[in-house]
Amino acid sequence: MKMKFITIDKKDWAKGIDKSRETYQLFGPVKDENGCRIDALGADVQPDMNYTDSVLSAKSVLFPQSEKILTTSLDESVEDHHIMKRADTDYTPRAVIGIRPYDAKAVLLVKMNFDTKDYRDPYWCDAYEATTFVGLGINRPGPFDFSTSTGSGPFNEDGLDILLADMDDKFLAKVLTSKGEAFAASCGFDVEADAKESQVLLDVLKKEAESNITAAVETDKLAGKTILDLHEAPFWDDISFSCINCGTCTYVCPTCWCFDIQDENKQKASTRFRNWDSCMAPLFTRHATGHNPRGEKTQRVRQRFMHKLKYFLDKYEEGIMCVGCGRCVKSCPVNIDIREVAKTMNGYEKQE
Amino acid sequence: MGNLLEHMGIEKDRVHFSWISSAEATKFVDVVREISEKVKALGPNTKFVKDYN
Amino acid sequence: MDTCIEKIRAIARDLLEKGTVEKVLGFADGTIPMATSPIAITSKEDVDKLTFTSTCGLNLANYASKEKGKIAVIAKGCDSRNLVTHIVENQVQRDNLYIIGVPCTGMVDKVKVASAIEGEISGFEEDGDTLKVTSSLQTLTVDKNDVLKDNCRYCTHRNPVLYDELASDLVEEQELDNPFPDVDAIEALDPEAKWQHFQDLTQNCIRCYACRNACPLCYCPTCFVDESGPQWVGKGQNKTDVDTFHFLRAFHCAGRCTDCGACVEACPMGINVRDFTRKLNKDALDMFGWEAGLDITKRPPLDAYSPEDPNDFIK
Repeated sequence: MKMKFITIDKKDWAKGIDKSRETYQLFGPVKDENGCRIDALGADVQPDMNYTDSVLSAKSVLFPQSEKILTTSLDESVEDHHIMKRADTDYTPRAVIGIRPYDAKAVLLVKMNFDTKDYRDPYWCDAYEATTFVGLGINRPGPFDFSTSTGSGPFNEDGLDILLADMDDKFLAKVLTSKGEAFAASCGFDVEADAKESQVLLDVLKKEAESNITAAVETDKLAGKTILDLHEAPFWDDISFSCINCGTCTYVCPTCWCFDIQDENKQKASTRFRNWDSCMAPLFTRHATGHNPRGEKTQRVRQRFMHKLKYFLDKYEEGIMCVGCGRCVKSCPVNIDIREVAKTMNGYEKQE
Repeated sequence: MGNLLEHMGIEKDRVHFSWISSAEATKFVDVVREISEKVKALGPNTKFVKDYN
Repeated sequence: MDTCIEKIRAIARDLLEKGTVEKVLGFADGTIPMATSPIAITSKEDVDKLTFTSTCGLNLANYASKEKGKIAVIAKGCDSRNLVTHIVENQVQRDNLYIIGVPCTGMVDKVKVASAIEGEISGFEEDGDTLKVTSSLQTLTVDKNDVLKDNCRYCTHRNPVLYDELASDLVEEQELDNPFPDVDAIEALDPEAKWQHFQDLTQNCIRCYACRNACPLCYCPTCFVDESGPQWVGKGQNKTDVDTFHFLRAFHCAGRCTDCGACVEACPMGINVRDFTRKLNKDALDMFGWEAGLDITKRPPLDAYSPEDPNDFIK
């Protein structure tokens, strides 16, 4: 598909977004007194395109915090009783407007888990296929953004269907996929811009944005170390001391996808839910026998960083399971910093 | 606890406390009647009710 | 509170050198502006990592009760009261604690500071009561008293109530005519408005349990929300389940909460969960004349029976 560039005058933006509601359910950044979140956009709500960052990522669009997956009736007089059927979820086309490039890359990382050659998670994958990602490049990355160290970046295109660049009085849109093309058409945005010029403009913006990123994560030596060396390293007790084992880091992280399945019944109706769960929770790995292989806090904290920075890296060889959004760094109540941990792991040499 | 519930907006007459020994059958009947009347007068409760959908 | 950093380090160095304690629990500078991180120092060479600023809003008593062996803890007024509660509740032995008391003039509310300035905060400096906050778009000078955490504004126990050594001079306690104006404001609403207030309060809750885990009082091996046989509370995002978690957790802390504000400090969504516990603190004071953690010999009111206990609510 030939890359197409569209110019969108900001005066036409809101109208176009509203027109797209005929075809798409819209999601986007919404601000309230507690900060910003990516939420479903009500009928008269426009996405806040001036937001800096959202506390929670966009992962809830494809992976809601609490999702009904199966239902059944326990009433034995009903024909299909006790047979679980897939819950009625609305998979009509959706669009996430203003998603950050690192969140879109995170979607691709999560996809490696939910869409494998052995199994395709129907709930996540159906939602993914129904969603169009309209990304917004970050002109001024904040102090927590270290996306360039993780293979992403403020104008990275991975996982996006359209990349928007905010150019004061207009948006420059780079249409990357046919899904993106369809979305632009549904808004009625059709003022084409010269492809060569536009790419140059984008590259300039990208360079400037990337030069603003001061935070970095060193990961070049991680692949070369053995899992056992890192696992048995002596620094985990120090790193994990302050951790309070809440679920904050895992819940704000766009690449974390662990979940718990729970049934909730009321009288004769039964529903099976999938809820977010966190490896930080003390009972996360508790077996039915009562044994808990990660009953100690140090084990859980170590597991989280090993998973993100080592196991995933080794398994898929596509880089670390982190996109550098910095949300965990910002939200952690005790300021455990994944950048510091990565540095410690990266620089660790086993003492013989 | 009654105070905290009231603070949250549950009407005062919805939650009642009473010490009743198993030997005080009459008191039990009286208290239950009184509470039933008071709660019924408030109508159906809409707070702290879990909807299962 | 700047001068006490040197004193804290000196005390810590001395304790570790003499082997009086195995660890010193304190705060270290964070990796991002306005952040500090709890730390356990085990060797005297590391004491310079210790710091103490107006951004040390977490409660170290939370960590103290989980340590075995003899430790030193840095305790502000509220933290020391939680240590007293821990001793009363048998979570820690008095002999295993060396309390470094730090009289406190209040901690800074990071959300208030962030909303006062435009752009993401990239720098934060403190000089007495004057705070200098920088972002990519501006530099702001703020008086600390304008951006204090809510619990610090109403604090009447700034000085540690139990300590082995003080890191600075005692400070003057605040005299407040009404220490609970926020509770009164809610009490003045009609029931529907009250309900709406609490519904709005918890609507962003993501059940991360940071509030519970940061709270020194929440030390149950298995919290009621984690129980599954029987399961008391759903684990999803149903509003009633979320409300039940907050309501019941507050009630489990009734008469024990010292309003240290660690719960609000820890919450990633900025929810003021103290609205639940403050009402109970006020009731404890009104009904039992009780404030948590002031007396090492007394048990909390919900834990002890007296014939004079108020019972006009019982038929």
